[in-house]
Amino acid sequence: MRRASRVHGGSVLSLPSARIAIVILAAVVFLMIFGSALAPQNPLTINANALFQGPSRAHLLGTDYLGRDVLSRLMAGTRLSVLTAAEAVGIALVLGAPLGVATVFLGRAFDFAANRVADALMTLPSIFFAVAVTAALGNGLVQAMFPVGILMAPLFFRVTRAAALEFARAQYVEAAELLGASKLHVIRVHVARKVLPTIAVTTAQGAAGALLAVSFLTFLGIGVTPPTPTWGGVLSSDLDYLSNAPWAPLIPGALIAITVGALNALADAFRDRAPRGRLAEPGQNVTTQLTPQPLEAADGRPTAA
Amino acid sequence: MAGQPPPETGAVRPETVLAIEDLRVTVHDGGATAVRDVSLTVRSGEIVGLVGESGSGKTLTCRAALGVLPRGVAAQGKITFAGEDVTSLSARGWERLHGSHIGAVFQDPASYLNPNLTVGGQVAEVLRVKRGLSRARAHEKAVELLTTVGLRQAGRVFHQIPAELSGGMLQRVMIAIAISCDPELLIADEATTALDVTIQAEIIELVKDLCDQRGLAVLFVSHDLAVIRELCDRVVVFYAGQVVEAGPAAEIIERPRHPYTQALLRVASVGDFRRRELEVIPGQPPHVGDRTTGCRFAARCPSVIEACRAGDIGLTRLGPAHEARCARVDDPAIAEASAAVAAVAPVAANGTRADQELANR
Amino acid sequence: MTAEVTAATTVSAAPLLEVADIDVVLGHGWRGNHVLSGVNMKVWPGEIVGLVGETGSGKTTLARAVVGLARPRGGRVLFDGTEISRLRGAARRRERRSGHIQLVFQDPLRSLDPDLTVGDIVGEGLKIRGGLPAAEIRARVDDALAKVGLSGTLSHRQPGQISGGQRQRVSIARALAADPKLLLCDEPVSALDASNRNYILRLLAGLRDSLGLPIVIISHDLSSLAGIADRVVVLYRGRIVEDGPVAQVFTRPRHPYTALLMASAPRVERRIGTGEGAALSVHQLRRTTADPESPSAAGACVFAARCPFAADACAVQPALEPVAGQAGERWSAACHRHQEWPDLASARPAAAPR
Repeated sequence: MRRASRVHGGSVLSLPSARIAIVILAAVVFLMIFGSALAPQNPLTINANALFQGPSRAHLLGTDYLGRDVLSRLMAGTRLSVLTAAEAVGIALVLGAPLGVATVFLGRAFDFAANRVADALMTLPSIFFAVAVTAALGNGLVQAMFPVGILMAPLFFRVTRAAALEFARAQYVEAAELLGASKLHVIRVHVARKVLPTIAVTTAQGAAGALLAVSFLTFLGIGVTPPTPTWGGVLSSDLDYLSNAPWAPLIPGALIAITVGALNALADAFRDRAPRGRLAEPGQNVTTQLTPQPLEAADGRPTAA
Repeated sequence: MAGQPPPETGAVRPETVLAIEDLRVTVHDGGATAVRDVSLTVRSGEIVGLVGESGSGKTLTCRAALGVLPRGVAAQGKITFAGEDVTSLSARGWERLHGSHIGAVFQDPASYLNPNLTVGGQVAEVLRVKRGLSRARAHEKAVELLTTVGLRQAGRVFHQIPAELSGGMLQRVMIAIAISCDPELLIADEATTALDVTIQAEIIELVKDLCDQRGLAVLFVSHDLAVIRELCDRVVVFYAGQVVEAGPAAEIIERPRHPYTQALLRVASVGDFRRRELEVIPGQPPHVGDRTTGCRFAARCPSVIEACRAGDIGLTRLGPAHEARCARVDDPAIAEASAAVAAVAPVAANGTRADQELANR
Repeated sequence: MTAEVTAATTVSAAPLLEVADIDVVLGHGWRGNHVLSGVNMKVWPGEIVGLVGETGSGKTTLARAVVGLARPRGGRVLFDGTEISRLRGAARRRERRSGHIQLVFQDPLRSLDPDLTVGDIVGEGLKIRGGLPAAEIRARVDDALAKVGLSGTLSHRQPGQISGGQRQRVSIARALAADPKLLLCDEPVSALDASNRNYILRLLAGLRDSLGLPIVIISHDLSSLAGIADRVVVLYRGRIVEDGPVAQVFTRPRHPYTALLMASAPRVERRIGTGEGAALSVHQLRRTTADPESPSAAGACVFAARCPFAADACAVQPALEPVAGQAGERWSAACHRHQEWPDLASARPAAAPR
């Protein structure tokens, strides 16, 4: 089956905000992959002679309370922060999105039950659960982000369910049913690709939220054993010494904020560039204007009379 | 300019409400010409019909007359409304004209009404804004208007929201809004196209009545020649952005002189179960921006000859009020084709069983 | 293969589709809207039936009930003798995959998936049916497109890239690709101008003539079907008010609503004069304030409130009964006064008072 050429109507790249966001995120991903290797200094090296130094040739972002190079710590810390945030979003996406689509087709009882489960999950505070899980399963960021992911799943569930509901009611789905299509066929052929823009938006937003969650957890010291560098950890340790080095926490804070901002901008760009009618809005109707049009071949050839 | 018949002796010449001269509308920021050399007039008490296929330029002409051309679309030429030159009128100028002097009705009434407000309230709002009526007086007048447009129990209908009313009723509400401030001109663009046939007939009668009672000038656009024939005094036939024939409705229908009008009549004459022959016009109209020399209908014309493609064809005057844009307009062959279009013949032919039964009723 | 088709007016052939006493109610309890009440209709092989009614008459619901998109509260739908109205789930899907009855929706913008190509859309039914190699599907898609006068090169376009008339034809091609025994078309031409309308109607007539395919064409305009229909069925507020051969119904309709539909249609031809033998005008068929009050109790004729000829007898909903026609022709109407009203109508003023 030939796929439609684009998921999004009009390229996302045409928006300047999206271009900037993608550049930022590409840099983050680059750091994630190569950060440790490219760090100018060993992020763990303690240098008692160089405490709280401001930005200099040797230490572009200065040093922290143990004399460690801040830049290197941030570069090395990118991997853990970003990967675990991705883990949480990934879990949420894999759990929430397919269920959100399926629930539209599996009948009222299933839908009711699924919605109640989602309701329940959404009432639970994710950070507390992250803490509880680390207490139970041991102090690991990977373990800690697991409940964050599960508790984010209802968001994906709700959003894809709303989108799928809109498309499941479309007349072309009725037409397919009239041809004897099974529900699986309808989902595969008609619904799945249409919910992708919605999923894209939600994923970007979820990633932003997950990154904030990671930062928060590592700020609290949950899930990481020092001296492992993470963005939130660096922020936290710098904050303790605010009076000595007031500029210090700004940098990791800015890094988090910029990345989260880029993700949100990307989410907005996905939304703005989604083909008309793809983002399910309640009550939205594809146009039904009945304007008369002449019979014509789109390439200008006259058609047989 | 589509000719005005000479004034009858002793009669007061009816006032020309809308005069369009040599209108030229370009689209795509001047990239292509969608309407060219269009001239027409509408006098008070007269219903002028613009007929043609989709894309023929009739709607753009209408919009130029209303001053509501979309972005990238520009109009040149001269448009006069009640003696005032409105060709380059400012937005504020048009605002003054809209509602108070020109009313408009379009195809899908539901999309022009606020779904959350009562229909009566929306009529009353126009009266308050444009005429400065008090709330109470506007309410009263709105109910009057709703009755005038044929809505029964207008007092009750006033308080209903659009979702509670049928398409025909909503269209009547739109007409009420359009005439609420006693405009001189009513423009209706495919106003009956989406309605059931019974409702369409009622709306056509309503427009005729309003025209008679109020001396309203009406510019009525439709792709349906039958509707135009039922309603209009004069007809202007559009093809590919130009006027190809214009004249009194009776004359155009009974003796069309342009092959395109003849073709339109042939396809419109459906509905005879005896004939069982459904005509089509082969091919399709040229795209906007296609530059063809000569007649733009040549590719589809059954009577085309060499001369048709030689150069641009001008309008030939055929009578005091009738003109056509055809190189062969004086050719007897065309006149024969016109007579052959069976529109003129009374539907009762002779000898068939059905006709005898009709006669025996 | 050209089937010899004659207007199916003989009583002997068995109907292909039978709608028996169908009731469809939307909504629940006392607020339920009786969209269809006691509808009986038959369609024979090789005929085109015009199903006519205004918005709200239930004509689309009837089509949906036939194909199982609307569940009737009462009554049955039989296809080729087999009841299909009670099918559910896998059995219903199996019946649909057989492609016997196909429905062409009213608005191709909504009924064609905008993300699929024309080729995918037309071939979808065949893919669902399964068991056909891709080349065979391709061939059948091209064949269906050819039947509606479209070139196979359109297969790669998406619905948004072709014109409205072409979309309508793609919609029909999709139905044809399933090799149906019966085609239902919901307002196939209402959105098109006269030339395109005639083209599509001619196309449908051609399918009847060449394939013997029975087609039900739903429309709000009776007159537009006069050129191709063999039979017309007129629906008013969920009930059939007239059902008969096109020539008879057009010459001398038995129900005043049918006459009103015909009189309302705008025509380019001049009407047959006035006086003896004249066709009725709308003014003779509409109620005026001068007419006596119609019976309005529940159970009265559905048309009574709008009928200028309603009398006391009309306080009871008339049944659809055979009316006198040529021998062997099926013609019925639901009107107590079907013999008297035409004379009453002729006697009324033909033009509205000015």
